[in-house]
This record gives sequence, C-alpha cells and structure tokens, in this order.
Amino acid sequence: MFNYTFRWNQALNSLPQMLEGALVTMEIAILSMVIGISIAILLTLFRLSRNPLLVGIAATWVEIARNTPALFQIYMVHFGLAGFGIHLSPYLSLLIGIAFNNAGYLTENFRGALKAIPDTQTRAARSLGMTPLQAFRNVIMPQMLRISFLPMTNQMVWAILMTSLGAVVAMNTDLYGVTSELNARTFRTFELFAIAAVIFYLITKVITLSARLLAARLFRY
Amino acid sequence: MKSALFTAGILAATAVAMPAQADKLDDIIASGTLRCAVVLDFPPMGSRDESNNPIGFDVDYCNDLAAALGVSAEIVETTFPERIPSLMSGRVDVAVASTSDTLERAKTVGFSIPYYAFENAVVAREGIEMASWEDMKGKTVGATAGTYEAIWLEGKVKEWGEGQFRPYQNQADVFLALSQGQLDATVATVEVSEANVKSGNFGGIKIVDKAPMVPDYVALITLREEYGLINYMNLFINQQVRTGRYAELYKKWVGEGEPADLTIPGVYR
Repeated sequence: MFNYTFRWNQALNSLPQMLEGALVTMEIAILSMVIGISIAILLTLFRLSRNPLLVGIAATWVEIARNTPALFQIYMVHFGLAGFGIHLSPYLSLLIGIAFNNAGYLTENFRGALKAIPDTQTRAARSLGMTPLQAFRNVIMPQMLRISFLPMTNQMVWAILMTSLGAVVAMNTDLYGVTSELNARTFRTFELFAIAAVIFYLITKVITLSARLLAARLFRY
Repeated sequence: MKSALFTAGILAATAVAMPAQADKLDDIIASGTLRCAVVLDFPPMGSRDESNNPIGFDVDYCNDLAAALGVSAEIVETTFPERIPSLMSGRVDVAVASTSDTLERAKTVGFSIPYYAFENAVVAREGIEMASWEDMKGKTVGATAGTYEAIWLEGKVKEWGEGQFRPYQNQADVFLALSQGQLDATVATVEVSEANVKSGNFGGIKIVDKAPMVPDYVALITLREEYGLINYMNLFINQQVRTGRYAELYKKWVGEGEPADLTIPGVYR
C-alpha cells in the first residue's frame, strides 16, 4: 500500500537549488580526494620507511579509517574535536572526515599496487645511483598510481556518496542537505529524494566515465 | 460456464469495491492496533525512561487515542524528517509527533485541529553577549533539522544576510553543539529549553528570550484523504480538552501553569 500522489512540478521548481548543492557535493568530493591521495602517498612512504614510529602511525590511521563507520569518523571530527576546543565548521568537518577515510582506504589500495611491482625495479633504480626517495618517486610511484587508478575512481565515487553523511554535522549546503531541508518545508519526500538520487547517479557516472577516458590517455604505452 | 463467469464477475466487482468501503478508521479498529509515529528524542513530548520504554506527552496522547478507539497502541519511533515516509509507506497510521500545521505541508498530509501549542525560546551559551533574540543576528545559530523553529530561524538568518545557520539532526546534537561552543545560540521550544537547562546534561547554557513567533500550533497527522480518521481525531482532541485530560497531561509532562489555548479568537477552523 503506497498512498501518495506524485507532484513533480512542485519538486522540479527546486531543481536549481539542488544543482547548486550538487556543485558543493562535487567540490567536497574532489578536494577530499586530492587531500586523501596526498596523505595516502605519505602514509605509504611511512610504511616503507621501516621506522617503527612512522609505520605505527600509518598502521593506526589505516586501521581506524577502514574499521569504523565513516559516519562515526565525521561525527568525531565535528563533536570529538570540539571537546578539545577545536571548532570546525560543518563544511570542514565533512571534508576532513571524508579525506581521513579516503586516505585510509587509498593507502591499502597503494599497498596492493606496490605488491604488483617487482622488488627488482627498486634495486635496479638504486644500482643506477638513485636515492631511495628518488627511486620511489621516479620509478615506483608512477606505476603504483597507474595500477591503483581504477580503485581510486571507486574511492572517488564513494567520496561523493559519503557527502550525504554531512547531515550529522549540520551540513546544509550539499546535495543531501539541500534536499532534506526542502523536504522539511514541503513534505514532498519521494519526488525530492528521487531527483537527488538521479543527480547523484549522474555525478558518479560522469566521474567514472571521465576517469576511464583519462586513464586511456594517461597510461598509453 | 455462464455461472462461473458470473461468479468471477461478482468477485472482481467486490475486489474493486472493497478498498472504497473500509477506510483507515475501519482498518485500525479491525486490526486492533493503532500505530503512532512518535519522535523520542524530543522531551518532554517524547523520550525514553531508564528501562528504555517510550514516555512523554505524545506517547500518552497516542495511548489515549488508542484507548478511545478501543485498540492497543504501538509506538513507532521516528525522526522528524521520517514522519512522512512512515505515513506514506503505511508503517504507521498516524503521527503524534508535534507536527506544525503549515499550509505548505497541508498540501501533502492531512492535519487534525491543533492538539498542542509551543512557545519558543532563544537559548545561548554562557559567555556570549545576548540581551534579546535580535542579538542572534550575525551569530552562528542552529536548530533541529525539519522543525518549525529551524525553518523560522533559517529564514531569519537569510533575511539578516549575515551569520550562519546549522541544522543538526536531533535535539541532543543541537544542545551538545551549543554547550561545546559550536553554536552561539539556538531556538527551541520553551519546554525543551527548560528541561535541558534544568537537567544539567548540557553545561554552560542559558535561556535568553522568547522567540517572537506566533505560537507553534502542532497537530496530529495522517493521510490527507482519510477524512473519517481526521474527523475522529478532531473530536478526540476536543474531548481531551473538555475532559481536562489535556491540562492533566500538561501538568504531568510540562509542569505547573496553564497549557496553551488551542483556539484562535476571531476565526473559525
């Protein structure tokens, strides 16, 4: 039994507001990926360093990021840090929470990619006189990024969908926030959320397709 | 053959006619259970006691309605934004969930006459200079997402053109954010504000002023086309006031004093 008359015109009037929200969602997803990838490369280096402290930091980060809900991570950034007097806006809390999660997962992706690169390459690079860091940057990292490119697009899609968790930290300018606010005002739940779902679908589709095109261009032999 | 066709025809006709005969009011009485959506993180209207049972004004109100119908009550916990999906998908029969009766919402759901009216208060964290509600201008303010006061406060922030509005998911998060200093001020019902200031669960907050809105009249909601049920609920609310039960529940959950007048002088409903 589903007792509801769909009234699309009323909901479609709010489309411009929702598209603005979609832009914020994409902005957060892209920024969180840029930050996430940078941190993940750093954590990968930590892991390779054999320094117990650095290895420990990387391991802890990956453990927490991968084994607790993203919702909890975002909530802790907002309310947990506030307990120590650090007040972050909803936007920053969401961005940092997602970037934290991305970094953890991407570090694991990079580890998988590293396993696919034979050790002999590092040794060959070292025997050519490169420092360990040079060997990593010039020989290993480009291959690592290439191998893990598709898992990275996966994480990007996940980052887009994770923005909807911003609701727990009072985020109201992203796609989900805008939609739920319109819903509170008008009660047109099903139309509004259907439109939001279509927009989410289109964003992720565009991202995965362009990533595939980019991969074809970047990784030509 | 002919009689078989006739029987099939009769069956088809009754199958089509059946849903039109029994409306929601019949369904509830026939099923023996009234399922109410109640928001349980909204004390004193809805909350849970130490042994996790639902308690509060709205919970009692649902129980009273069920008793009047001669059925048992089932409390279905819901959040403010979830009220409509629960109703539309048939998970609950009515929502006794402090729903403000705005004209915009009445296009979608059926409202009874008001069963309660809230006054709203401005609550600020201590240490913030605030003499009246207008001092919220330019500050970081917030309220519970999906509520009347949140819609009002966001409108004000847009009108002022400065400051920030943040809608948190539930009342507890709003007051947590306020006592942590994430928010400078919030607008919440006088009932909720007083309960939270008194409980001491959230330190460093104070009630500053009344919010200058018209009283927030809240009503029971069900599907828009269920006139039978809506009529019944209207009479039920009338009887609650007439018999003194309304005042009794007010005293039990809110405190001493007069409950709000549910009539508006000078106009029919």
